[in-house]
Amino acid sequence: VPHPEPAVLALRALGEAVGSADDERHIAACAQCRSELARLAEVAALARRSGTAETLSSPPPRVWERIAAAAAGPASLAGTGAAAAGGASPRVRPAGQASRGHGLGGQAARWLSGRLSAALSGLAIGLAAGAAAATGIAQLTSGPPPARVLARIALRPLPRFPQWRHVAGTAVMQAAAAGRILDVRLRAPRLPGFYEVWLLGRNGVSMISLGDLSTARTGRFVIPPGTDLKFYSRVDVSLQPFNGSTLHSKVSVVRGALPPAALGGRRTSAVARQPGRGPPSAGLSAGNAGRAEGGG
Amino acid sequence: VDLETEIAAAFTAGRPDALQMAYQRYAPLVYTIALRSLGSGQDAEDVTQQVFIAAWHQRAGFDGRRGSLGGWLVAITRNKVTDVLRQRQRDSRVVARVAGDAGREAARQAPDPDPDQVVTRILLADELTRLPEPQRLVMALAFYSDLTHEQIARALRIPVGTVKSQIRRSLFRLRSRLEADGATP
Repeated sequence: VPHPEPAVLALRALGEAVGSADDERHIAACAQCRSELARLAEVAALARRSGTAETLSSPPPRVWERIAAAAAGPASLAGTGAAAAGGASPRVRPAGQASRGHGLGGQAARWLSGRLSAALSGLAIGLAAGAAAATGIAQLTSGPPPARVLARIALRPLPRFPQWRHVAGTAVMQAAAAGRILDVRLRAPRLPGFYEVWLLGRNGVSMISLGDLSTARTGRFVIPPGTDLKFYSRVDVSLQPFNGSTLHSKVSVVRGALPPAALGGRRTSAVARQPGRGPPSAGLSAGNAGRAEGGG
Repeated sequence: VDLETEIAAAFTAGRPDALQMAYQRYAPLVYTIALRSLGSGQDAEDVTQQVFIAAWHQRAGFDGRRGSLGGWLVAITRNKVTDVLRQRQRDSRVVARVAGDAGREAARQAPDPDPDQVVTRILLADELTRLPEPQRLVMALAFYSDLTHEQIARALRIPVGTVKSQIRRSLFRLRSRLEADGATP
């Protein structure tokens, strides 16, 4: 009996009764799965013990000023000038300016501080939105929102992975009320591990994980709002081992590039709506493209 | 290369901007651990200052292959917090000798929170704030509301499969970060 999907372990660790009877028998008999489950449950318990999420506080600016002054002493930043000039008092820089003229360019510094403040302010806002979403469940409308096909591309194996030459897939991107949706289908054998869908950046390094394909090798994913598809312009499907790693396994099964016309975001013109292939009913509530959800 | 790896590399190399990068990334973590452990803003500021200065001067002792920079800074923070708590104990013994029973009673009040629990809780909060949206919101609901993943999917109008794989990835990520930073056994 194969290991259950990692998602089954994660949801069970959170206390949901998911997974098949086979999964249950497997977990009972498999020391590895039991230990994995126990470690995940420990994280969930730790999070819940505090009731609500902690909020982090930032120290007042004077703390950084003191650190910068101390670090700028002769002991560390020798060679930057002031210290070498013979007992000059250490220069204290306000935090906002300190990186200017140093190795980190102004643009990178702005990016860094932007990222940090976004991360710090995000939690409070998110929790409020979460509460709103939780109370709003009863009021949800059920009609599927209209969707528009932005792109329909073929996913093909890479020449350097000859073992995938018989594998192929498709990716369909649609604009829906909730944002851009990507439907991925893969014609591939069922192998140990699972297939994961990624958007690859043009620099060959950056990537965004969209999620896993179901056991039917299909999946529907929301492209995170704000994703720059001019940069993250390629769809990649990897085969991932069950090792708990969240990184790309470097085993790319198929790939395809999104056409430039589809990358512009919310433009309404110049969209390839293919004749004779109207948009499939893409209501978000309509289902999960064959994803096998575990019963109770 | 992610932000934290980049900071750790710059730190190890002793790049002049590395201390500030590390401070921007980790100061809230260090300061909040100190603040919650010590209950005093002044002490927390002092600890934060000591941690970053000590880390910078002792950066040759940091080995990126053995653990994360965050985990290393958290370990230094724990040591500094312990130092402050010991100093307080010594001070309170002095107070007790001088003031007699009343002083001893005062020193016994306000027990310090369990430092391990404080660290774990704050590390978890730090990791949660770092999850991209909507993963962070999904995890906040999974942890702190009574919703199942299917209810979360309906509430946020995200496909069930997406919510499922986001929970899977986030929980595994939180677990490996907590283990890497030495917060869970």
